[in-house]
Amino acid sequence: MRGLGSIERPKPLTPPLSQPKSDISDFGQFKVPNSGKPEFGWEREPTESVARPAANSPSLPSRRRSGVCLALVVVLTFFLALSAAALTFPTLSGRVVDEANILDAGTRTALTEKLAGLEAKTTDQLVVVTLKSLQGTSIEDFGYQLGRYWRVGQKGKNNGALLIVVPGERRVRIEVGYGLEATLTDAVSRLIIENAIIPRFRANDFPGGVTRGVDDIISVLTGDAEEWKQRAAKRPDTVSQSPSTQSDSIWSVIVLMLIVVGVVVLCAMLLGALCLQILSILALAGGRGSSSSGGFSGGGGSFGGGGASGRW
Amino acid sequence: MLAQRLSAPSAFRNLPAFLMMAIVLPLLAGCGYNTIPTAEENARAAWSEVLNQYQRRADLIPNLVETVKGYAAHEKDTLDAVVEARAKATQVTVTPETLKDPEAFKKFQDSQAGLTSALSRLLAVSERYPDLKANQNFLALQSQLEGTENRIAVARRDYIEAVRAYNTELRTFPGVIWASTLYRSAKPMETFTVADEVKKPPAVKF
Repeated sequence: MRGLGSIERPKPLTPPLSQPKSDISDFGQFKVPNSGKPEFGWEREPTESVARPAANSPSLPSRRRSGVCLALVVVLTFFLALSAAALTFPTLSGRVVDEANILDAGTRTALTEKLAGLEAKTTDQLVVVTLKSLQGTSIEDFGYQLGRYWRVGQKGKNNGALLIVVPGERRVRIEVGYGLEATLTDAVSRLIIENAIIPRFRANDFPGGVTRGVDDIISVLTGDAEEWKQRAAKRPDTVSQSPSTQSDSIWSVIVLMLIVVGVVVLCAMLLGALCLQILSILALAGGRGSSSSGGFSGGGGSFGGGGASGRW
Repeated sequence: MLAQRLSAPSAFRNLPAFLMMAIVLPLLAGCGYNTIPTAEENARAAWSEVLNQYQRRADLIPNLVETVKGYAAHEKDTLDAVVEARAKATQVTVTPETLKDPEAFKKFQDSQAGLTSALSRLLAVSERYPDLKANQNFLALQSQLEGTENRIAVARRDYIEAVRAYNTELRTFPGVIWASTLYRSAKPMETFTVADEVKKPPAVKF
């Protein structure tokens, strides 16, 4: 604290000495006595221009400022640590997330169609993702965290699966959600990887390998006609024209709007005009950022580490 | 009006207190009264999942031993070690008290670690037998074992996170107040040690 005395301090704020006595200046312990003489060591006389700490007591500005600095440092370090520890996941831009750019546009479109068809038939969500790097973790570690982050699979049923390809590290994994572990077992996933995917990857045929892998997974998931008929029957809407995801999203938008209206009304009652101003700013900022692409999003499913990996 | 209330019959004398409780108790729920039981139940559920996966691994082992015995009968020592480790691991009984008892928890952890190391020795040994490695049954069992090891790792991580939340709740404000008054029986739960977390099953190359 002593060393800070050498730093030249800016002029402190004018204490409420010069203000007329009103409600605003009545801050309890900071109330200025009638005589106008400053009560605490930090309150300056209006005539003093250079700030200097009193000899015996540490001046509050330096303590307060160092406290603020310390708080800022702690907060920034916290965020730094947070960003260093957590993995960064790509955004779920669609059913095929080709971050490593190994698939051509034709393959991507074909795969997206197949995957959309799978979800329409059985509500299982299969997502193909290619990554540039694993950010230092193993593909098993990355896989289930990515699945949980994207929430692939329907909530409650957890029927999601991921086909993860990391060409830079020559690893592939089929990550299976809790609900599909009985059908797409570890052994089956391993067989698909070893027989369909890796031979083609070894020949540098990435689109072919991924397509064949997806075909095999779909055939496993829809293999038992009786079973997928049962799963399809559990869907709430059985209309074939409009897939259930559309009606779900309409409902969620309606509920969201009701919530927003409720919050605005409550806020207006409690806080008045200021709150409405804040909310309008937030709405403008939020509205621009909430455009969904293609309407595909995870259904809220979770993953438990099932599946199989392979390397070539 | 106050005098009227004071002289009211006994049934109504408690009305102000009752009204106070009716207002204060919901506020208590907002103040974190429910957090300790919720966190504890979460941790117990995560623990059940860990036990589930360990049990699944234990169930896969007899099949694996039989398959390996068919091809690698000379490796009797390794096979016996696995069978023995499995028996020891299933013998350790786990009760809800294990979570709060460091000794019992350590015994459970050690027995499972023993089984992990015996299994890894067996899988390493089976690399020397190309016939065994090509056997479809063995491949299936091996992938199932790898999957189970992965699931165990994920379940342990979820459990560690749930226990962290529960233990933190017991020690931080306002949980520490509830813990010392109404939830005296709530004790911190044991968690897995870091050394076991980084242990990975051996990668088997073809």
